[in-house]
Amino acid sequence: MKTIVGLLLLLLVWEISALLLGSSFILPTPIETFKALIHELTKIETFHAFLSTAWKGFFVLGLVVLLGTLIGLVMGINTAIYEILRPVVMIVQAVPVISWLALVIFLWGIGWKGPVLISFLSLLPISIFTTAAGVRSIDKDLLEMVKVYKVPKRKVFKDIYLGSIVPFVVATIDISIGNVWKVILVSEFLCGDEGLGVLISWARQYVDVPRVYALTIIAVTFGIISERLTRRFVRRLTRKWGMS
Amino acid sequence: MGNVLEVKDLVKRYGKLLVLDRWNLKVSKGERIVLLGPSGCGKTTFLKIIAGLEGYDEGELHMNFKSLGFVFQEPRLIPWRTVKKNLSFVSDDESKIKEVLKMVKLEGFENHLPSQLSGGMRQRVNLARALLNDPDLLILDEPFSSLDLPVKLKIMDDIVELWKESNFTLLMVTHDVKEAVYMGDRILVLSERPSRIMEEITLEEITLTFHGDRILDERFLKVEAQIIKILSSF
Repeated sequence: MKTIVGLLLLLLVWEISALLLGSSFILPTPIETFKALIHELTKIETFHAFLSTAWKGFFVLGLVVLLGTLIGLVMGINTAIYEILRPVVMIVQAVPVISWLALVIFLWGIGWKGPVLISFLSLLPISIFTTAAGVRSIDKDLLEMVKVYKVPKRKVFKDIYLGSIVPFVVATIDISIGNVWKVILVSEFLCGDEGLGVLISWARQYVDVPRVYALTIIAVTFGIISERLTRRFVRRLTRKWGMS
Repeated sequence: MGNVLEVKDLVKRYGKLLVLDRWNLKVSKGERIVLLGPSGCGKTTFLKIIAGLEGYDEGELHMNFKSLGFVFQEPRLIPWRTVKKNLSFVSDDESKIKEVLKMVKLEGFENHLPSQLSGGMRQRVNLARALLNDPDLLILDEPFSSLDLPVKLKIMDDIVELWKESNFTLLMVTHDVKEAVYMGDRILVLSERPSRIMEEITLEEITLTFHGDRILDERFLKVEAQIIKILSSF
């Protein structure tokens, strides 16, 4: 109920702002936007673009979690490797999207690889640092217990290290799923050949502002739904792991 | 009886800080030894040296036991693993796991997570884990400090019962005089840091003939008063 009230309030503020501004080039009214939205939803082109953005998003998310966890795990376990790789990861984290853009356009031109690589590089450092922090914060008392009982390394890795990083991997997924769509859309907008970001870019070029808003609503709705579904899935997984 | 432990002029320093100052100690097989001293005097450091977690700087340490059980001050259980998995982390012997769970009266709690247990039950899992490898030497590092009195008394009774049934040597450290008198048949009183073994009190004769609740027994209260006097003289 409160959500519906919130949405209605948003629509009201939007309508009043659009009426005050009086220009659909700056802010179209909700009705104009919803008309454009219905038009978009009936087009096969939008559906293809949506699928393209979706697979890139989930692919990047999977890659970020997998590689970020692996690299983070190694960095967390080995202090020397942590010290060596930390500046590299920090630099990757600090490089602006626009700089990666130049690189990928020279490398591959316009296509799917650019958005995937840019999104991957934008999210990977978070995953690495979160996992490494998890491993480094492992309870030292547990490691002392392991030494006393001379527990085999295989068991220590599986039960202590992997177990310790599960909350941090969950945190990585939580952070990444919220950001991945934004990064994918921006990079599609800049160097993609298909996807919602590309459609937004075309709509902007044709100054079709209601369409830009309509596509944004599709992207936001998809983002929220996928975020909720992923979180539910991850919670179920962690429950199985015996964490909750 | 052979010595499980023999310590000669043992010295341990952390940098310039002298912690253990020439400790001399012999522990015979099957004894119940309690090291009693103020907090920070190096009791846990000594246990860590025996467990191989710390080195020492001078002196000699002779150890003659096959397996060691260590009951930590805090349970040190893996939070995301059940009681059974915490035990199988240390030993794969399923029947032994069942046996120790029975010994510490935790049957039926195999599939509980540590967070679903009370403080006393977690400490029992800690004890069960220490008993898994049939220890010759069972080390207890202030294991009752976080427990309330009734739970503490119950677990102490259970440990003494286990000691009677098994044949392990028990080495416990504590700063609590009552715990020391309750658990030990020989109490070594330590000074403040740099710690030395100041007094040795033997209760063996009393404990051998004793049946019932030690905490209220006059003979033990006398020993308690004697130790308090020693401690306050430092």
